[in-house]
Amino acid sequence: MPVASIPSVAPVLRSEWIKIRTVRASWGSLLAILLVTTALTVLTYSTVGEAEAADGGQQVKEAFYPLNFAQVAALAYGATAVASEYREGALRVSLAAVPRRGLLYWSKTAVIAVTALLVCVPTTFATFLVGQAFLGGHAIGLDHPGVLRACAGGAVYLVLMTLFAAGLTFLLRSAVGALGILVPFVLVGSFVLGDAAGGIGAYLPDRAGSHFFRETPPGPLGPWEGLGVTALWAAAALAAGWWAVRRRDA
Amino acid sequence: MTTIELTALTKEYGSRRTVTRAVDDLTCTVEPGRVTGFLGPNGAGKSTTMRLVLGLDRPTCGTATVGGRDYTTLGSPLRTVGALLDAHSAHPSRTARDHLRHLAASNRIPARRVDEVLEEAGIASVAGRRTRTFSLGMRQRLGIAAALLGDPPVLMLDEPANGLDPEGFVWLRRLLRRLAGEGRTVLMSSHLMNETSAVADHLLVLGRGRLLADVGTSAFIDRNSAPRVQVRTGDPVRLRASMAARGHAMREAGGGRWTVEGATAEEVGAVSAREGIPVLELTDLRASLEDAYLALTAASAQFAAASPPTTTSPQEA
Repeated sequence: MPVASIPSVAPVLRSEWIKIRTVRASWGSLLAILLVTTALTVLTYSTVGEAEAADGGQQVKEAFYPLNFAQVAALAYGATAVASEYREGALRVSLAAVPRRGLLYWSKTAVIAVTALLVCVPTTFATFLVGQAFLGGHAIGLDHPGVLRACAGGAVYLVLMTLFAAGLTFLLRSAVGALGILVPFVLVGSFVLGDAAGGIGAYLPDRAGSHFFRETPPGPLGPWEGLGVTALWAAAALAAGWWAVRRRDA
Repeated sequence: MTTIELTALTKEYGSRRTVTRAVDDLTCTVEPGRVTGFLGPNGAGKSTTMRLVLGLDRPTCGTATVGGRDYTTLGSPLRTVGALLDAHSAHPSRTARDHLRHLAASNRIPARRVDEVLEEAGIASVAGRRTRTFSLGMRQRLGIAAALLGDPPVLMLDEPANGLDPEGFVWLRRLLRRLAGEGRTVLMSSHLMNETSAVADHLLVLGRGRLLADVGTSAFIDRNSAPRVQVRTGDPVRLRASMAARGHAMREAGGGRWTVEGATAEEVGAVSAREGIPVLELTDLRASLEDAYLALTAASAQFAAASPPTTTSPQEA
């Protein structure tokens, strides 16, 4: 039998792309990042947007307020895309086809990252543009200081949160487990801890990343440092996931 | 020719205090050109052994190779080994075709193979359906289709007959015989003796992770079953007396027939001819694989009902 010994990345990337595209849960949660965020933007800005804007305050921060919801959708995508491998014996089939665990793990991670980026870039721009469309005279444009930076950085931030959830799901082998930790953490814990713990709170993954959306970062971290901190969290989760996948019997 | 070779293969589970040996010092070779039945009760270590061959589990010690190579070093492994491990491993919301497409893509297997194996497995008409709607039999066929995808010289199927209807089983038997006839290595596990005896030329019998027998199917039956003869005679009293003189008990089996324990037809025929006892009918009772298996395992006294199946690994349902 002619068997090539050199593992090739391209077929595995293609296979992982087919896997994501052909399961409704992962495909749907990817699109939900854009659709849910845009829908919530319309809902909030068409109702309270103009009144809030009239009060003044940090216009850039408020323009990207709906990304709080986008990050939950991003976490859900990262978790569901990985969790499909942990249904019954799915991972065994995947590893029988691609027995080099590093090749399988990093290919899947790469496909999740790229697909998330392709959806998150339009999401941050749509959030900004749709939101501002409801603000009448208070609207700011893409040329407002910090807006383009927030659009780009916001997309990267969402991708990092996706990977954070993906890594944790590899570690816990369950989307329910990963989301059960991450969603309360992001929605509730970070608000409480972040304010209570003062300086340390700024280093939580979502807090650090959110510095991007403020004209003047509140804590010890600048916008880029903040994004770096979120990246470190994602890297730690992916490293933990990789450790688990490499070490465990499938 | 590609063989599966196991050398002192051992797999232990559990913590330091409660170690369970799922596979215990297994050494054997699965040869090409024949169907090898991998036989043993649930929890005997069959599935664990297959996972060790595929590099899904790591052995505590020993090695498992395919064609002399570690499975995890193969570049396009589906072109070397086709495996069916678990009928439920296809994602329930993926269609059968998409399940095969992503597997084919990962090993650079041409897309036309997907339709070929769907056809071969008899599930082409449901290829576009999500597998959650599949019966167990259809899932098995999908798993077998996936195993055939890379046209591999080695097939390793864990309980492939599970959930197949009688027609499906006949199909499976023909398929496996054909694959073996083409010179491939076919390993099929089962905990059912009858379905295995219908397919396998050769047997590997496993009990509590140990190899109990590595032998041809008919030799296994002969070796592990005492001979028995069924006879119809005009003079049962005299025949019984002469059988008893040779140490064989003769019991009435109903319908005017008798069974003689421990004797062959040849022996009974010779005795009755010599002594002028009329024999109307004489048949060797061939023990079934089930009898032979029970005789073997009873002899090794490992499967008494009282002993819990401690060899079941946590992942083995």
